[in-house]
Amino acid sequence: MSKQPSSMCPAFGAVRNLLRMEDAVPIVISSGDGCLYGHTFVAHFYVANRPIHSPGVSSEIWAKGSMFDELRAMVIDLAERHRPALIPICSLCVSDTVGLPFELLPKQIGNTEVVYVPLPAYSVHTHARAKDIVVDSLVWRLPPQRKARAGVNLIGEIFPSDPIAIDEVLRRMGTHVNTHVPGPRWNDYVAMVDGALNAPLHPFYSESVKRMKMKQGLPFVEGAPVGVAGTYAWLHAVGEALGLEPSAVARVAAEERDRVRTALDAHRLDGRTFMVAGYEGHEFLLVRLLIEAGASVPFLSTAVNANPLARTEERWLAEHGCTVLYGANFEDEIGALTARPYDCVIGTTPLCAHAKELGIPAIYYTNAIATRSLMLAAGAADVLALVEQTLGAKRRYERIARFFAEDEEALVPTYTSWAPKLDLTEQLIAQSAL
Amino acid sequence: MSTPLRPGIAAAELSSDIVNTPIRKRVTDLDHAGGDTGAMQVFAALADANVVLDGPVGCHVMPAVAVVNYTDSIPYLQNVTCSELSEQEVTLAGTLGVLTEKVTAAAAGGRQVFIVSTPVSELIGASWSAGDAAVAGSPLFFDAHALDDDEYAARDRALLFLWQHRDHFVPPGEAEPRKAGPSVNIIGPTYGNFNSYSDLAELKRLVAGIGAEVNLVFPFEASSYDTARLAQADATICLYREYGCSLARELGLPTFFAPIGLEPTTTFLRDLGAALGLQAQADAFIRREKKTTLAAWQDIWRSTHSDFFANAPIAIVAPPTYLEGLRYYLGDELGLPIAFAAARTGPESVPNAEVRRALTEASPSPMLVFGSINERMIIAQEQLPSRFLQCSFPGAVVRRATGTPFVGYAGAVWLLQCVCETLFDVLFANLPTSAEPPVQAQTSTGEALREAVAIVAEAGKGRNSVISWSQEAKELAETTLRRVPFFVRVSVNKKLRAEAEHAARERGSEVDAAIVREIVARYRPR
Repeated sequence: MSKQPSSMCPAFGAVRNLLRMEDAVPIVISSGDGCLYGHTFVAHFYVANRPIHSPGVSSEIWAKGSMFDELRAMVIDLAERHRPALIPICSLCVSDTVGLPFELLPKQIGNTEVVYVPLPAYSVHTHARAKDIVVDSLVWRLPPQRKARAGVNLIGEIFPSDPIAIDEVLRRMGTHVNTHVPGPRWNDYVAMVDGALNAPLHPFYSESVKRMKMKQGLPFVEGAPVGVAGTYAWLHAVGEALGLEPSAVARVAAEERDRVRTALDAHRLDGRTFMVAGYEGHEFLLVRLLIEAGASVPFLSTAVNANPLARTEERWLAEHGCTVLYGANFEDEIGALTARPYDCVIGTTPLCAHAKELGIPAIYYTNAIATRSLMLAAGAADVLALVEQTLGAKRRYERIARFFAEDEEALVPTYTSWAPKLDLTEQLIAQSAL
Repeated sequence: MSTPLRPGIAAAELSSDIVNTPIRKRVTDLDHAGGDTGAMQVFAALADANVVLDGPVGCHVMPAVAVVNYTDSIPYLQNVTCSELSEQEVTLAGTLGVLTEKVTAAAAGGRQVFIVSTPVSELIGASWSAGDAAVAGSPLFFDAHALDDDEYAARDRALLFLWQHRDHFVPPGEAEPRKAGPSVNIIGPTYGNFNSYSDLAELKRLVAGIGAEVNLVFPFEASSYDTARLAQADATICLYREYGCSLARELGLPTFFAPIGLEPTTTFLRDLGAALGLQAQADAFIRREKKTTLAAWQDIWRSTHSDFFANAPIAIVAPPTYLEGLRYYLGDELGLPIAFAAARTGPESVPNAEVRRALTEASPSPMLVFGSINERMIIAQEQLPSRFLQCSFPGAVVRRATGTPFVGYAGAVWLLQCVCETLFDVLFANLPTSAEPPVQAQTSTGEALREAVAIVAEAGKGRNSVISWSQEAKELAETTLRRVPFFVRVSVNKKLRAEAEHAARERGSEVDAAIVREIVARYRPR
């Protein structure tokens, strides 16, 4: 059976990051009202209280090709009215299939950069890939790297205080954080031309960093300062890539590694089994922390597609008993949930819903984990404290699950609380590889 | 002023023409879903249905996971999948291959499969006609007009589509016999209707109250094979006017709309009673309700609470049912002045930019704004003093407790309670507060008397202690006050004057526009 990742609409990964920018006025060319309604609804719920502009679409508009003129007028109008630094044009499935002549749009209007961001969900496939496309599209607009460059460009949606903490560590090694994207301003991206090294902190910015390496000769390091081994390896990689004083690098890397270890020792998870599923891309890093804290994570289900950066993370996880399932699918995940007992589930909405129904403590990855730091000792302590708290709620989850179970005496896994019932599950489990 | 909705509608009067929200050249913050979503919301509500959306993964996850979790508080619709189109299908292969796989899986266990087109599949001209033979069972293809229809038009067509295919659906056992007594169909809700769980509960309570039975709640409490049973009722009630009329007209039974407001509910009960031969029971129920459910209404109405109403202007932006219902109930029956009312969707829909202008320019600002998150954003962005009450999607909300109806007598009580509580809240927010500590005495009375003279003399404003206001400052203060709801205007006026004059004294100047602006900014709602 053909299977695409059960990702949130991939394009939303991009819309989300662009709508968060303070000096951008994004335009979303939707495939239809159903599509645009979804993006608008979700964006206004948890991205920003900012308008989403779109040219109207209908079969007649597509057939006549009249939309492009409207789009051009709209771009000019928005540029003149708001004078933003950036007007990103998110082109979703239908407009990208139709193939609008985006090269005919002005590239600059006054101080405003007009950037086309291609996001046909059927070929982008994942949320993570869409984020990579945003960075890639914006960076493509930049001039070549400057001659005098220094510091590290951090790439990845991380906790607001993470760049500050990382900067503090890097300064002890003789370098610093140059800029961080995706950031709230266009200048955060512009500053990338001054950096000497790219650090994609989440394992999916492979296209962006590859292109910057080819076009601008800017090298990149893999991994992130997460967990004991991860922190140590990342700091060494940065030191090596920038030719920093080896003794300083070794000293700082060892210090930070020991700090993370101390944090992990305060939150041991030995003997606990976790199921982790995510579509954000940093689920790899979370699993690292869980494993280093002593937990067993038999597999990681991720909507991220296999890419060079993820391979490195995958290897580390495989060496520690975790199989990575790319292109995660709801049905597979739900099937896997009943395959063995779990102490805690960190995953997507549907997966968590099933886990809670079974009395397993569960939290939604995007809401609970993506809003926290994972980096360095403070990040490890923060996220593991949340995990501990969730584990501690086991009895509460069980009590509710028992109440809703068919037989209140014995908690039997059932899928009964939603109408209408799903008849697909069993068949899909049978057909899947799990 | 509008007239109350006439609850009893002759079948011939029901509009069967599919009405659509106009497609505009430019859209800011779209407020309605498209045809594929609307169709899915109907078919997925059937207990025996699996829905396969013929589109890329986002066309499935957006409406059936991400949005439904915040409209219906359901983690995801378990009976919806999609064909998961990739580049291969869109550019080369077409959707039939992947669609057949998905439909085959979905048809397992005898489920009725509905295939719904999406913008992408419509664009590449995908169709199911050739796939039919390959799959056991009888999947049905529904052309959602995803590029053109809004969610309401699609719901209306999908409901009619079910009726037209009623012979296609095979009941697993004996068909349920006709109810012994008089019975009604309730058409609606589907998934994704604001407040529908409460509205349905209240409507069922009213029906039971007059001694009638519910034949079928369609599609929400039905299976596809129940569709033919719609003919076994004595009347039809459309929960909302936005969709279901085409089906109601085809059924040809006496048809009613769910009532909003006191008088419309009374008329509804009497007319429904008459149509079902239950006049006496209807009258008895109304009498009972006056002493029970509506006792609360009468008490609130007799209280001073209602004295605020005439000076509490409101705005309503909602789909037609709630727009007309609230306009009549809050405007005509309760007497709250309607500052502005606009249709959210449908042919009369008002673009967001016009809603923004109307809300911003209204003087005084509406004290309460009933709307969606779009109005909520306008209030925040334009820093209006209005309070927001949600009465429509979009906008994440949890409305699964069934005690918050808009329709029926219980709805009249609930809405009255909401209005009063929100007005109390406005009052609270405008009273002087100890959140700011008491002002400390800096001087003795004697010193104050001497200093005031000195300051006034120095500023060249004459010998009296009245601080003068520049023309611009006066105008600005007036404009500001005009926007403030009436019953708190006196408090706000006092506060503004005291603080402005205090600032002027400190600076030794008259009250100028800059001072007023500073003070106004301090009191902007956050």
